[in-house]
Amino acid sequence: MECREYEAQFNDYLDGELSLKERETLKVHLRECLSCYRKWNSLQKTKEVVSRLPNLNPPSYLSAIVMARVKERPSRRLTCSFSQLPKWIPLGAVAALVLIVSLVLWQVLLPSVPLRSRVSNQNNTPNIGSTSRQPVSKWTTTREESQAPVPVMVLRVKDFSRADRELQSMLRSIYGPMFTPTRPLNSSSARLIDIKVPGQRFSHLLRELHKIGHLDQSQVEIRGSVNPQKQKAISIRIVVVGNGSDVEIHQIRGVKNEPAGTE
Amino acid sequence: MRLHERQIFNFTYRMLGDEEEAEDLTQDIFIAAFKGIRKFRGEAKFSTWLYRIALNQTRNRIKYLSRRDFFAKQNRRAQHKEESPWENPEFLADSAPTPEQWTLTKSMAAQVQECLNQIPPQARQILVLRDVQGFSYEELSEMLSLNPGTVKSRLHRARSALQQRLADKLE
Repeated sequence: MECREYEAQFNDYLDGELSLKERETLKVHLRECLSCYRKWNSLQKTKEVVSRLPNLNPPSYLSAIVMARVKERPSRRLTCSFSQLPKWIPLGAVAALVLIVSLVLWQVLLPSVPLRSRVSNQNNTPNIGSTSRQPVSKWTTTREESQAPVPVMVLRVKDFSRADRELQSMLRSIYGPMFTPTRPLNSSSARLIDIKVPGQRFSHLLRELHKIGHLDQSQVEIRGSVNPQKQKAISIRIVVVGNGSDVEIHQIRGVKNEPAGTE
Repeated sequence: MRLHERQIFNFTYRMLGDEEEAEDLTQDIFIAAFKGIRKFRGEAKFSTWLYRIALNQTRNRIKYLSRRDFFAKQNRRAQHKEESPWENPEFLADSAPTPEQWTLTKSMAAQVQECLNQIPPQARQILVLRDVQGFSYEELSEMLSLNPGTVKSRLHRARSALQQRLADKLE
């Protein structure tokens, strides 16, 4: 057998697919041929290195985001299909519809008067177009989104004052040095922060929060109408609670209903 | 979802070489799976069905990211790094006792990932599925809708493509 034929067996040898006899023959050849041994050694190391690549852990909030996006999906479909169209298409369609309805009504209501005289007597005829025109209402989903409850995230930390500092400096790095929308929660070991996060940066924010403390998954209320990935900006409320804080969950929930920004 | 999310996340990470992109793609894969769950008839294993979705979504994402020069930028960033973890004597080939005793440090793993990023996506996917995630030829053949012979030859080509890129670093 030639070296080329032995080389063709390397991968099968790696995968344990050579017969005992073939294996023995190849081993003998590898002991005798330095060139083949080097090639074999390099291939073996390549496979070894790749199979030893570490397994990463996915972020703990991944399933929460997926479930929120799955729940949100049916209501988005309508908004998506319209928003993907060029802006002039829905406007043009509405205008064309209004024109057609007006013309039909004009023909039906005033069949005996010739068109020219109708135009000349325009001031005497009832203004059908203006009475039938309706104000364009917003899409339901958009209205729902504007009224959607603000998601509340409870961040539990061991050392409140340290975590508070870290959190504020992290938020300043995102929003700039003038960022100060925080307020104490009638307690020295709890704080409430209202922020608006760009949808694209929502995952980044969650990751940063995970570094600071334990983000209580059961308290992350991402409602069906909120899509962190696709929404332009999402308002969230972060409640930072230190260990041994006198603030209880029901108090935090009570805070949720207050208007944002009140002191 | 919890059963498979780690495996899928690692697959997407090895395919894209970027944690944030992998996270985003993993989300899309599971959403597509939830959406199409009614189409799963139990003819194949659930993991095979899920990986088929993962492979499709990954293919599309790679196309999308390539159009935006994502991988070119990633390679440029990698070239700027000056670390040379391969100088670690423990890792250096014949002087090390056996391959089993090697430990991949974080920076070594990053270098292997860079080499993985440089091989074509089709080769990368087969290599990751077989040598990183340990799927059998039969499973690969089902996932990729290819006959086992083709899977084998593609895997061999993928290994030698990676071997060429790793060669300097392994010697």
